Amino acid sequence: MILDSAAHVPEPLRSALRDFLMALADDELLLGHRNSEWTGHAPILEEDIAFSNLAQDEIGHALAWFTLAHELGAPPPDRAAFFRDAPDFRNATLVELPKDDWAFTIVRQYLFDAAEQVRYAALALSAYRPMADTVAKLRSEETYHIMHSRGWVQRLGDATEESHRRMQTALERAWPHALGLFEPVEGEALLVEAGIKAGEASLRDQWLAQVKPILEGATLSMPAGAPLHSGGRVGRHTDHLADLLNDMQMVARLEPEATW
Amino acid sequence: MPDTQWPVFEVFHQTKRGEPHIHVGSVHAPDAELALMLARDQFARRLECVSLWVVRADHILATSYEDAAAWFQPATDKSYREAAGFRLSDLHRKLQEPDRDS
Repeated sequence: MILDSAAHVPEPLRSALRDFLMALADDELLLGHRNSEWTGHAPILEEDIAFSNLAQDEIGHALAWFTLAHELGAPPPDRAAFFRDAPDFRNATLVELPKDDWAFTIVRQYLFDAAEQVRYAALALSAYRPMADTVAKLRSEETYHIMHSRGWVQRLGDATEESHRRMQTALERAWPHALGLFEPVEGEALLVEAGIKAGEASLRDQWLAQVKPILEGATLSMPAGAPLHSGGRVGRHTDHLADLLNDMQMVARLEPEATW
Repeated sequence: MPDTQWPVFEVFHQTKRGEPHIHVGSVHAPDAELALMLARDQFARRLECVSLWVVRADHILATSYEDAAAWFQPATDKSYREAAGFRLSDLHRKLQEPDRDS
């Protein structure tokens, strides 16, 4: 059954959908924030500008998802971004990790972009119409994002001994957290049953099938037997998230009633 | 000394199909494919754009400013070759008032 708007979504599906939208929004917001930390520091000027653009895109996508969540009863986007504490965030831990070196940033971005590509392809068919409509808008930008991050993975994987070593190290660090992108939110079963989203396990398998040949083509070895790092989707985060939120929310919290 | 070890690519930008590609600047990139992506972020995010070209700067054969006189300055008066040299104003006027003679 197609659900045309927020008004058509009954409980308990409503809460499940809201939580899932918050997870999508939090992933984008925090990755956008981490990427913005490269502004002024990226390895070359052109990439500095490109990566700052990308950071802005991610934050724009976060706004789109926060807006849909708000229609279902979540706080308005600015309140959601700046006035929630770490345990309220539903992002995968991948996006809260510090930016580290360029290799880690690129590996994380690529793994995230590939996950998003798979996820958006499925959400384009969502029974929740506002979600399918939003995905239709965001997908073209994501197509460019993955071209960009994949392009860097393919170049840095086997460019020099140092770049290979850094990329392999980054991949091993990022991998357990990247698997956490597919940790289901509470209410996953309801959402899948209602045709709102695809199951996370099937998305993860599609993602694996997509990233494996690219990583191996870049002479990187797939981390074998790496444990899954989950918990983000239920509010269990690394200590890095509190540090990030402190930076990101500090100004807004100085004067909570200020309008911007 | 070059400012980067990466080659320079010149960027050409087209606002509408059928319009010419116009040179808008350059980017440094390790290869053409990445140059195209970086050019997109430098030059096509705020401008209307339907197509971008990148060309390695060192693949462009260009005249030098020292030789500009030999290439472009006529040694004798050739103003008769210029459009302004033709007396077309009478013809123009006539064409703009097609009904006058009818």
